[in-house]
Amino acid sequence: MTEYNGCVTCKSADKVLEKFIAQLPMETSHQRVESQKLKCGFGLQGVCCRLCANGPCRITPNSPRGVCGATSDVMVVRNFLRAVAAGSGCYIHVVENVARHLKNTAQAKGPLKGLQTLDRLCEMIGIAGADSYEKAIKVADAVLADLYKPDFEKMQLVQKLAYAPRYQTWQKLGILPGGAKSEVFKGVVKTSTNLSSDPVDMLVDCLRLGISTGLYGLLLTNLLNDVLLGEPKIRMAPVGLRVIDPEYINIMITGHQHVLFAHLQEQLVQPEIVKLANAAGAKGFRLVGCTCVGQELQLRGVHYTGLFEGHAGNNYASEAILATGAIDVVLSEFNCTLPGIEPICDTLNIKQICIDNVAKKANAEMKQFSFEEKARISTEIINETIEAYKTRRPKTTLNLLKEHGNDNTLTGVSEVTLKEFLGGNWSPLIDLIVSGQIKGVAAVVGCSNLTAGGYDVLTVELTKELIAKDIIVLTAGCSSGGIENCGLMTPQAAELAGPKLKAICQKLGIPPVLNFGPCLAIGRLETVAVELAKALNIDLPQLPLVLSAPQWLEEQALADGAFGLALGLPLHLGLPPFITGSKVAVKVLTEDMKQLTGGQVIINADAKESANILEQIIMDKRKALKI
Amino acid sequence: MSQIQRIMIDHTKCNGCKSCSLACMQAHRQDSGSLYDLDLTDGTNESRNSIQTDANGVYFPLFCRHCDDPQCVSACMSGAMTKNPENKLVQYDGKQCAACFMCVMNCPFGIIKPDNPTKTYVIKCDFCAKDKNGPNCVRACPNKAIYIEEVV
Repeated sequence: MTEYNGCVTCKSADKVLEKFIAQLPMETSHQRVESQKLKCGFGLQGVCCRLCANGPCRITPNSPRGVCGATSDVMVVRNFLRAVAAGSGCYIHVVENVARHLKNTAQAKGPLKGLQTLDRLCEMIGIAGADSYEKAIKVADAVLADLYKPDFEKMQLVQKLAYAPRYQTWQKLGILPGGAKSEVFKGVVKTSTNLSSDPVDMLVDCLRLGISTGLYGLLLTNLLNDVLLGEPKIRMAPVGLRVIDPEYINIMITGHQHVLFAHLQEQLVQPEIVKLANAAGAKGFRLVGCTCVGQELQLRGVHYTGLFEGHAGNNYASEAILATGAIDVVLSEFNCTLPGIEPICDTLNIKQICIDNVAKKANAEMKQFSFEEKARISTEIINETIEAYKTRRPKTTLNLLKEHGNDNTLTGVSEVTLKEFLGGNWSPLIDLIVSGQIKGVAAVVGCSNLTAGGYDVLTVELTKELIAKDIIVLTAGCSSGGIENCGLMTPQAAELAGPKLKAICQKLGIPPVLNFGPCLAIGRLETVAVELAKALNIDLPQLPLVLSAPQWLEEQALADGAFGLALGLPLHLGLPPFITGSKVAVKVLTEDMKQLTGGQVIINADAKESANILEQIIMDKRKALKI
Repeated sequence: MSQIQRIMIDHTKCNGCKSCSLACMQAHRQDSGSLYDLDLTDGTNESRNSIQTDANGVYFPLFCRHCDDPQCVSACMSGAMTKNPENKLVQYDGKQCAACFMCVMNCPFGIIKPDNPTKTYVIKCDFCAKDKNGPNCVRACPNKAIYIEEVV
């Protein structure tokens, strides 16, 4: 905890923001960590069950079973599967919306900006078409058909999307998923009162949900998004609260569904619309990136120059971004839109508009996105935004933070652009790994939270430790937002890397931490891993590659984690996902998984220790590969 | 400032969360670790406090009172139970204990109990003597239903 003028906030890796938040006149999540610091031990261990009227039941030495007879293993794994199913549901909702949007756009012969990706997708899943529209419709239909299958019918694209050795492992383990939505449904049913009491069977379900989440919710969402919105391009971009320019009408976007902003984005740069902003006294409109959808826009930022101001921060920066007073509207469509922004929006007269009712905020005006009515919806949003700007700005004192962030964060890294950067194939990276110039690869992914050492503390510290060991770090998720604002994605951060990695970074002019953007881009990281494994003719668990979600926050992260385990990758977490009350869950996830998929969970909240453990795993894998 | 401290109880603030019991187990566990990996099924690690309910379901958290006139000390024949003359805490020395359980029978609050698995010693609050921050149960209570008071 840190104290400024009697205000206690949680520790932060981002010192500039930490000071700013501590001096704000309003309360944020960073202050509430203190008043919520006493945690319930039963909750932490996952041994509180509220599934029936006999509960809540908790496990103690004197009460080793719930009233129904459920053991700690049953309670823990039931809770865990519920969380994984919910997390999967979130991502499946996203891919469903993206696929529907692609189909609608293609049917209306609307803009398709990533035709190379469309062709790549068609090749992957074996689709041919007379033109791009027909191809896009067929791709969208194939995705949607799989999502809507019952749980007893296997999804057709899994074999086409998965790396062959993985597919075989999954087939052998019997974890090929049925329809992705039905798998979520099954997870909810199984974990209801007095249904499944088999912890191992439920953990197997988690892996199955991991596969449907990863291949559809992550991998396909990126590809479909790229087709619609344009492919990423590597470039330098400004990040942090400095990107906010009060001379514009500013819309802060939060969520995970970039496509829902596609039409509005086009409109906001139309000369006649800009004139409306001019008439209100502003230079035009700007989108301020926040949470993963901000990362999406940053990744594809080359297509939105003049509109997208930059990524200001991740979920736990959102309150501070609003507190600058320069945001006029929050336009949200999904998580991680914190309820805590509501009182701040009230205080600063910031209008909230929500365009997907699964994430309806209490304060927000609901304008459910619909493809057919997108023109009307965009017009209404624009008019209300201008109105909000006109009424609130005269009575608002700005509290900007121009010194926050930096101007040269490398962004636009994807499975395609990184390969292009390397000269069109992966051999330069493989050569560096084989020769030991780069010891291995660590994907530092997932969310941002305030409790694993504080705001992004473990994420940033672990990243620093890893690069100092000549391990290159790739990021995806809100972890990216924290790491970029702390400067680790600028070329200058090469100074923090070990001597070998530093030399490579300096030669290429790149940072030692490569930003793939939102959590959805974990799907891009999977492609990178698969392509490296393919080039080496090995399976994924053999790669000197580790996953870490040091500051995982949400149920979605647990579904991502289940994907990582299904891929057979070592997965580090800073805090345990409420499972330590079950000896079975701990054993299966941290030990037995190595024999099942090749993966394993490692739980450690200390940056140095975690980095050492991950380095050791990488060294063991190198040794097994005789490199 | 008095050296004599007591855990005071405001039972109306207790919501039965048992954080005090887990804190007690955590403070007295034999292995090391965090609240995350405290073994909640380990019968050898027993909480020195407990929460009881009356007929109406009202919670009554029970903690050793370290009584002014401790019946457990008076009843103890082996010298295992003693009243510390300085801090006035009732201390238990397991090495001296003959496991006659006269203390258990004489405790007016029914707080001292034999250990469950072996019945060879008693479970008794030590006011977290080894912890300079004092009783862990008090710090763990989210509702301040238990608190430390200096006694003159």
